[in-house]
Amino acid sequence: MVRFLLALACKNLLRYKRRTVITSVAIAVGLALFIIIDSILIGVNEDSVRNIRWHETSSVRIMHADYWKDRLLMPLEVHISDVQEKIGLLGEHGLTATPRITFSAQMILHAEDFGEDGNLPVVVTAVDPRTDNSVFRFEETLIDGRFATSGSNELVMGSWLAQDIRAKVGHWVSLVARGNGGFFEAMDMQIVGIVNCPNPNVNRSLIMVPIDTVGIYLDMEDLATEIDVALPASADPDEAASRIPGILGNGEQALAVMTWRELSSEYLAVIGMERKSSSIILFLVFLIAAVGISNTMIMAINERTRELGMMRALGMPDPLIQVLFIIESGGIGLLGSISGTVLGSVANIFLVRNGIDFGFLMRMNDFGYRVQGIFRGAWSVQSLATTFAAGVVLSMLVAWIPTRRAINKDIPACLRHQ
Amino acid sequence: MIQVQDVVRNYKAGETVVKALKGVSLEIADGEFLSIAGPSGSGKTTLLNLIGCIDSLDGGEITIDGVPVSRMDKHAKTEFRRNNLGFIFQTYNLIPVLSAYENVSFVLSILNVPEREIKERTMMILQEVGLTGMEDRRPDRLSGGQQQRIAIARALVKNPKIVLADEPTANLDSKTGEEILRLMQEMNRKYHTTFIFSTHDRMVMDYARRLVSLHDGQVTGDERREA
Repeated sequence: MVRFLLALACKNLLRYKRRTVITSVAIAVGLALFIIIDSILIGVNEDSVRNIRWHETSSVRIMHADYWKDRLLMPLEVHISDVQEKIGLLGEHGLTATPRITFSAQMILHAEDFGEDGNLPVVVTAVDPRTDNSVFRFEETLIDGRFATSGSNELVMGSWLAQDIRAKVGHWVSLVARGNGGFFEAMDMQIVGIVNCPNPNVNRSLIMVPIDTVGIYLDMEDLATEIDVALPASADPDEAASRIPGILGNGEQALAVMTWRELSSEYLAVIGMERKSSSIILFLVFLIAAVGISNTMIMAINERTRELGMMRALGMPDPLIQVLFIIESGGIGLLGSISGTVLGSVANIFLVRNGIDFGFLMRMNDFGYRVQGIFRGAWSVQSLATTFAAGVVLSMLVAWIPTRRAINKDIPACLRHQ
Repeated sequence: MIQVQDVVRNYKAGETVVKALKGVSLEIADGEFLSIAGPSGSGKTTLLNLIGCIDSLDGGEITIDGVPVSRMDKHAKTEFRRNNLGFIFQTYNLIPVLSAYENVSFVLSILNVPEREIKERTMMILQEVGLTGMEDRRPDRLSGGQQQRIAIARALVKNPKIVLADEPTANLDSKTGEEILRLMQEMNRKYHTTFIFSTHDRMVMDYARRLVSLHDGQVTGDERREA
């Protein structure tokens, strides 16, 4: 019986070739679009997470226990002391670390270099030029000049910020900041390099200066607001974070150790929402497909009402008739799902290799993604399998209602149907 | 034995109630070749549908071999039809995507008959109705008469007790119609299957061994003849 039903369903699909093809194509296009959108979202998320670790948070960050809650104020008084000793201890346990001081400042622009006097608030990151690139990945992002050297009054700036204020290598700026203890200090700094990073946040706002220079100016010698630790991509940050307090011991300072996930929790929450929005897209795609299949099945059932009546008169059980139509609908879904998955996968090869350049959008707007321009796709077997299965299963489900309605009709009425 | 007792069937047509059958009573013995005759709207098809368990009555009772089929629920009726009844329709109602062989054999598939037996029985009945060599043809490549032969084969392949035919020759020319009637007669004699067919065609009535006349939902005549 099953063989008969399968054979009849296949023959009926071929009987209405054009209708089968049109409905399958509609499903295929919908699924392919979903695969493409989902691939881009997954790819952008993966790239963003990588760029967050490479340019913003590192894998694990050590801070003063009270720093995180006041982090927006960037208080220099809430710092880590004996930084070099702590970095040495971490190094002994195979952990590469670098100190950073983050502080807010007014950047004063001078008319000699910028054409007119002006100032703007900035967030400055003081880094150790000797060790920073072993934790963060700025080495290949330099597009002009060079990196600042230790002990110098040199500054490296993000490319978009430099464009916005028309800054060039060789220009001088002054940074006015409140030092450790509350005093104000002005630092004259020469721009020696401009970086263009895959992370738009960096390009938009980065001001990077040597930590030892800032240490002298702001009374932060051998002090830091954070120590950033690099871990291999395969390492478990939670495991490292739980190990670090033991390595650093119970000093007089209470320290907090946070993983990149905790540090970028706001971004991850946004991404979580966007994954949900991709589910809404999937739902909409299937809603459109469902309307298409439902319409096709209603037409098929309407045209074959007499045939259906004959089968019922000859004693074919209603559930078997329903199964017949559901197999037909599933066949359309299967064709659509195969074509859609193939189409989406072919498009995805291009997306994974080349991506799409959304640089013009990212320059003007901050969408939260840490990807500067080219959005690349990513392969997700789970996503492909879910999309494929959902295409087939939902196609079968939507055939249920019109078939149910047809078999609830009186047999004589079915046989009289014109 | 089919017993139809005081059968009433009403239909609603908007606000109006149409009385299709007004207390019809009949007894049909096994192996009869019976025609229900009457003009359009006399209730022929309604009576056939009720005996065929594809419609529900509003009064009276129908029993087949002592089984009160009119009291059965939907599922029991389906099972009864599957095991005991064959149908021949005016418009053949063949499945256009299936071959002649498949149109006949699917009835046995529903009954879960083993594959080998399905083949034997289908080939035999197609031979009986004169369609040897046309097993692989689809209905659209067969004449009206040949299509109705498939329908007869389909009705008979499961060896039903009763075959119900609603105006089986109405869509055929008179010569082909006669061929079909002779075939039905032959099958009736050979298998001792009860044939009940409706018609308003005088030529068709002449083939019946018993002629029941209906008019306005009532039996107006019941005539037995020699074949």
